[in-house]
Amino acid sequence: MQLLTELVDLFQHRLVRYLLYLTGRREYAEDLAQETWIRILQRGSQYDGRQRFDPWLFAIARNLAIDYLRQKQKAVQPVSSSEDHDAALLVPSSGPSPFEAAARSEDAMRLAGQLQILAPLYREALLLRFQEDMSLAEMAQVLGAPVTTVTSRIYRGLTALRAAFEEDASHGK
Amino acid sequence: MESDKRFRELIDRSFVEEISERERRLIHDHLRDCDGCRRYFELTARTIRGLREFSFVSGPDSNGQVREILAHHAGTMRQPNVQFNVWAAFAGALLMSFVGSALVYQVTRRLAVPMHFDTAHVEAGVLIFWLLPSFCAALRLLAAPGGNRGMA
Repeated sequence: MQLLTELVDLFQHRLVRYLLYLTGRREYAEDLAQETWIRILQRGSQYDGRQRFDPWLFAIARNLAIDYLRQKQKAVQPVSSSEDHDAALLVPSSGPSPFEAAARSEDAMRLAGQLQILAPLYREALLLRFQEDMSLAEMAQVLGAPVTTVTSRIYRGLTALRAAFEEDASHGK
Repeated sequence: MESDKRFRELIDRSFVEEISERERRLIHDHLRDCDGCRRYFELTARTIRGLREFSFVSGPDSNGQVREILAHHAGTMRQPNVQFNVWAAFAGALLMSFVGSALVYQVTRRLAVPMHFDTAHVEAGVLIFWLLPSFCAALRLLAAPGGNRGMA
């Protein structure tokens, strides 16, 4: 229990941030973070100590988030034709943007709008690579996808976000 | 242009993956001569820099809430084990009560003849002074609060 408490202190902030990128909603992120820690408490014995802890933590959080969002979607749209595991993440989030609240520079503020409408699949890939500084192999572990898929998501995400500055560039700012 | 497209893909790769020193030099040389690709490089660098300029603040005492919830769950996870242990101890104590009582009864019955005891008195004595106290001690295990439970 002592170890788990220390892990909460170390990773809670990053976990909430990851879930925020994934769900686009602060209230979902906080709830899911709590659920994730409970899952860690129950399944801690399954962790392979030779691997880094954060990819394992994020992978658990991701699965919980997908299930959670899928249930939310079912409640709104009872019949779903998609069988894709990641499909639940493809619905753009709505409501007030937590990204604008978190932006700490003018550039970040401009990206916030793009991030809010960006598909969560690309958003999480960008976060894991450029904020968590995870390697592509670690990202593949979290996302449960091949490295080629991971890189493709990063490139697509970057292409979408560059649009926030492209107008400036065309005016030579 | 086709070559610009290839260079832009290489520029993207340079931000995301490991590229060779040769590829890095290729980009460097190309950017000196191509305004379009230089702008593309700067735009990509600016986007990635912007991505690092978000600072999410956790809810007030978010860690504390999680710790409380975990402590609660850890308690409920341990509960079934505690219950099992108490019942196992109770069963053990009960078994020892009866086996011990049976042994004492056998011994005192054998001693009853040479010592001129009445058999009925022996049975009553074993029941009152041995079986009942040990049975009560076993029952006490169930009644004691969690932290104070010990073998009877």
